[in-house]
Amino acid sequence: MRSWQPFRFKSIHTSIAIAFSCLILAMTALLTYNSYRLSEEAVTDNAETYTEQLIDQVNANVQTYLDNMVSISSLVMSNSELEKAAALRDLHSPEAFVLEEGIGKFFRSVVRSREDIATILFAGANGNVLSDREQPEYKPVDDLTRQDWYRNAVEAQGKVVISSSHVQYLYLREYRWVVSISRQLGEPGKPGSGVLMVDLNLNVINNLCKQIELGNRGYVFILDPAGDLIYHPQQQLLYSRLKSEAIPTLLATKDSSIPIQENGDRKIYTIRTNEFGWKVIGVTYPDELVGNKREIRTTSVLAGILFLIVALSISIFLSFRLTKPIKRLESLMKKVEKGDFNTRVEVESTDEIGKLSRSFNLMIGKIKDLMGQIVEEQEMKRISELKAMQAQIHPHFLYNTLDSIIWMAEMGKMEEVVKMTSALAKLFRSSISKGDGLVPIEVELEHIRNYLTIQNIRYKNKFTYVIDVDPSLYDCKTLKIVLQPLVENAIYHGLKQQAVIGHLSITGRRENGTIVLQVIDDGVGMSEEQVHALTDRLRQSEGGKGVGLQNVNHRIGLYFGDCYGLEIRSEPEEGTSVTLRIPEIR
Amino acid sequence: MRKIIIGCVAAVVLASGIGALYAFVSNPWTEKDKPILFVPKTVDGRIDFWQVLGQGVHMAAKEFGEQVQTVGTVAESDISGQIALLEKAIEERPKAIVMAASDYNQLVPVARKIRSAGIPLITVDSGLNGGISASFIATDNYKAGKQAGQSMAQGLDESARIAIVSFVKGSTPAMERERGVRDQLKESGMESVLEETYYSDASESKAYEIVKQLLRDKPDLDGIVCLNEPTTVGAAKAVKELLAGERPKMVGFDSSTDEIAFLEEDIIQAIVVQKPFNMGYLAVRVAVDVTKGREVETLIDTGSEVITKMNMYTKENQKLLFPFEGQ
Repeated sequence: MRSWQPFRFKSIHTSIAIAFSCLILAMTALLTYNSYRLSEEAVTDNAETYTEQLIDQVNANVQTYLDNMVSISSLVMSNSELEKAAALRDLHSPEAFVLEEGIGKFFRSVVRSREDIATILFAGANGNVLSDREQPEYKPVDDLTRQDWYRNAVEAQGKVVISSSHVQYLYLREYRWVVSISRQLGEPGKPGSGVLMVDLNLNVINNLCKQIELGNRGYVFILDPAGDLIYHPQQQLLYSRLKSEAIPTLLATKDSSIPIQENGDRKIYTIRTNEFGWKVIGVTYPDELVGNKREIRTTSVLAGILFLIVALSISIFLSFRLTKPIKRLESLMKKVEKGDFNTRVEVESTDEIGKLSRSFNLMIGKIKDLMGQIVEEQEMKRISELKAMQAQIHPHFLYNTLDSIIWMAEMGKMEEVVKMTSALAKLFRSSISKGDGLVPIEVELEHIRNYLTIQNIRYKNKFTYVIDVDPSLYDCKTLKIVLQPLVENAIYHGLKQQAVIGHLSITGRRENGTIVLQVIDDGVGMSEEQVHALTDRLRQSEGGKGVGLQNVNHRIGLYFGDCYGLEIRSEPEEGTSVTLRIPEIR
Repeated sequence: MRKIIIGCVAAVVLASGIGALYAFVSNPWTEKDKPILFVPKTVDGRIDFWQVLGQGVHMAAKEFGEQVQTVGTVAESDISGQIALLEKAIEERPKAIVMAASDYNQLVPVARKIRSAGIPLITVDSGLNGGISASFIATDNYKAGKQAGQSMAQGLDESARIAIVSFVKGSTPAMERERGVRDQLKESGMESVLEETYYSDASESKAYEIVKQLLRDKPDLDGIVCLNEPTTVGAAKAVKELLAGERPKMVGFDSSTDEIAFLEEDIIQAIVVQKPFNMGYLAVRVAVDVTKGREVETLIDTGSEVITKMNMYTKENQKLLFPFEGQ
């Protein structure tokens, strides 16, 4: 039984404590988890917003730099002398020298005004190369027109072309990282055409990106539309394939934030594209927020544990408080079980337990009273029984009967002697046999017949009798010796007193489930006062004289309840009837 | 009742004890903030190789959320200086030590001490005799030597006379590279490789003198393989100065602005470059792995690339040759 009812505990105390604990545990876990999740969400959201703002800013700055370069290139290109230089036929003429000198000065002034420009170079289709350097030492790559910046600018037909980041490939012993912006001047093939190139120091962009702190591990990188890296802090690692970025995915993605899972590392890419198609991409590690997260987690868990401990202590304390009076009641009940009915609970509270205690006290009191009553009643029954016995073997009755037998024997009335002696013997036998308890009405009637036999012989000329009891009642139970005192009274106080021959009748019938036995005589009867007095005496507890009727009434009351008993009716000179009511018991 | 109260108090005390213990164990500023010690061969800021390697170290440190403290001697040859630094470092108990041993043998005792102190030890670029470190991250010099040999053999007759100028006699990288070069040349069928190996002692001027002498002694030389950066530059200077028209083919090691200039001038035909950035990065990554108790490879080859005038401006090689944006 217990094995498949695991949540049944021996005491309410444990049950309550465990129920509370479970509840508290569940609530704490739920609350802790929830608060952790909410703070985590908040942190993540903040970080995302922050990253987006940063990347927007970087993007805007990069855009500004590029815009500046473009406007500088426009400015330079608006210089009409440039076209002239590109149209020169003889590059070594004095005219050319003056022109180049002027343009060189112009270039220099522009470059000096801005730190972010590495160099300005113009390559004319006529082979004229002009730069901001005073005495440029070009690399032995004679054909500048084959370089990317040149070819792409020609292809773009006057549109601005922005290269990826690369090492400048112009001057001897100069290896600058730059981004080249080139633009076609004039129409290709026609005199006066050429390509202008402005180099942006990549440093500017690098420094911009390096400054950005996206957590400890996060970083910013820039892709050009072809998927080449303009800037990446781990460029070498990427080239060596020690690391990788999902470049095709990123190129195909519009401005947004996308999570990418890579080697079990989760990254969030925040992408912004500028007007030149460059993608500025911020990479953040959501796990990095774990630093924060761990703190949040630790705090929530610690708070949870603390709360749990406090709550558990309170629950244990409370459950103890709640069950303490119940336990006390239980221990008192045990005492009662052992038979100590003097136990009393001191009622302290007005709550349910208090009420229970009060009821307990009342109950124990009642039980005690009832127990006392039972003991008393038993005692009384015993006494009544004894008295009935005494009534039965009334010595005078015995002496008188024996005297009658002697007298009859002397008279030689042998037949009557035999009859009387045998009746006496039966009378005694029946009364001695099993002194206690109920007997069938038949037995009681037998007893009364024997008695009447004796009395009828003794008071031969005084009365006649008839016994008329419904035979179906014979099996019903009655108390022993309840009729004899009634008959005795009828004979001694009713019939014996009158001069004429009286008549005694004993009847028995059923009436509404009650057995009614009546002893009716037509003797002297009693006045109303006498009936009253007798009835009153019947109600009184036992004692004194007139033992017979009182004893009968008392015993009936004790055995069957107070609603049963004797009822006396009498009229002077008419006779008396005594009615005995008992329940029908088989 | 009293029992219960005592029980409650005991539970609270116990729980706070556990909490305190937990807080102590997971205390983020006892173990975590200890730095990883990085000991390069030199802290001389002019040497690109170590600068770039340092960059890799710092990049990895940032990525893995570690602190790095760099200590080192100015001179690569200051072996006792490096030993003293390491001895001192043991007392400070760094989280891990990433070092480039300035000597193959003399650093062994102090390395043993480091290991017995329970500090994870990673060697980078230059290892130790007996492989004491948990992992050794370096260029496979033998392989690099073979690459150099291959570049040299390309386009030369089998009868070409080839000289090898090494740097420090007895240094492991030097021996490995030389072995690689010689093995590869032999494989390629080169018959006339000079038996003698010349040593520049890693000095540019000495290399210059040696090669000058060599060119005078053997004017019919067809190729020179130089096994490290100063040697290459010194040799190239000598070749450029002495010979005008027909010059021997030159293959060098490592990269520097000078070497690149010579490469562009066609004095040097090829250089074999290492990947110091990757080396530094991997060294720290491995160190972190070791501190976290993960399995690591005992030997990691970071690889090397052959750079010629033709491929020097590819985007990968640009980054390798010109690691600094600021120049």
